[in-house]
Amino acid sequence: MEFTLLWAALTAAAGLWLGVRIFRNTSETAFDNLLAATVAGLAGGRVVAMISQGLNPLANPVDLLIVRGGVNTAAATSIAIAVFYLVSGRKISTMDTAAPAALLGLASWHLGCLWRGACLGVASDVPWAWSEAGSSITRHPVEIYAGVGLVIIALLITRLPQRVGVWSSAGLLGASGLRLATEPLRLTISGGPVFWYAIGILIGAIGMAASLRLADRSDLSVVS
Amino acid sequence: MKRAIAAVLLVITACGPVVTGDLQQPDLPAIDGVGLAALLSDLGKPAVINVWASWCHPCRSEAPLLAAAHSQFGDSIEFIGIDVQDNQNDAKAFIAQFGLEFDHYFDRDRSVPNQYGAIGTPVTMFFNADGEWVSTHLGVIDDRSLALGIDEIANG
Repeated sequence: MEFTLLWAALTAAAGLWLGVRIFRNTSETAFDNLLAATVAGLAGGRVVAMISQGLNPLANPVDLLIVRGGVNTAAATSIAIAVFYLVSGRKISTMDTAAPAALLGLASWHLGCLWRGACLGVASDVPWAWSEAGSSITRHPVEIYAGVGLVIIALLITRLPQRVGVWSSAGLLGASGLRLATEPLRLTISGGPVFWYAIGILIGAIGMAASLRLADRSDLSVVS
Repeated sequence: MKRAIAAVLLVITACGPVVTGDLQQPDLPAIDGVGLAALLSDLGKPAVINVWASWCHPCRSEAPLLAAAHSQFGDSIEFIGIDVQDNQNDAKAFIAQFGLEFDHYFDRDRSVPNQYGAIGTPVTMFFNADGEWVSTHLGVIDDRSLALGIDEIANG
């Protein structure tokens, strides 16, 4: 039912809220800004998905609300990052401090699969595999892997040096890498956006390397 | 500036596909719950039954996914569309617009979804090779749920 998606979205918002409070160096407006960026990303990703499906968003505005009809992951992520950058004062350092909270929000979205009944991927015999109700086929709980993995990445990021661009680049690198690693365990009709995960890894790695190198040259780069 | 933006939006809107039903095509054959059960038991392979209507916005959103799934699994899984509470011309236009190249039936009274206790539109139902009901997804179906449902009936 559609309400399951709403529950998953609320779980993600709760994760975001929790992340903002756990990682105390996040700015006071971070939750509002992250939420605004998420909504903008979803809307933009939905528009791109509709266009790619041959649906004109202007001629079918109601269809924009049917998120389950498909959201383009690459577009949604790019738009969310851009919007967060704009609404948070165009400071990379603000993005850095919000990165762990954003990852916790994303982790909660994945763990929200428990309400949606959408945790399972390819068939498996591993001891922790479980099955759909009434089914004899046990499967990898792939979205649980992704959720737990993102929580671990969020915690690991806070161990990195607080230099401009490092945390946000590491967040992009970690999230893209995790999605790419877990993608073979998912079932899909259209194929996951594997190419875009690879691009995310590349941008994250380059951003992280550049941030660390630039930080060595400037004493202004430490996150205040 | 505002006029320029309005003009661009108008042009984009006008660029939307205008698809009408091919009146040369025969009408969709009628079916009811009993007829579908008989059809499924004779198929000898798993089936995905999608209940849709041309007036249903969510059905438009999931139609491209169903077309893609049919292209990918059409050889081993039977895809059947059940058009409910609709009219024939709009139904044929909908099928043409989204390239839903599998069999569709006309069910004006919602007899098929009613038989399986499925409320609302769209609905996607999964049946095994013996024609037995396996699961039902109410509302718009997403990529992962459709893939999981197909995997269950193909390998269950």
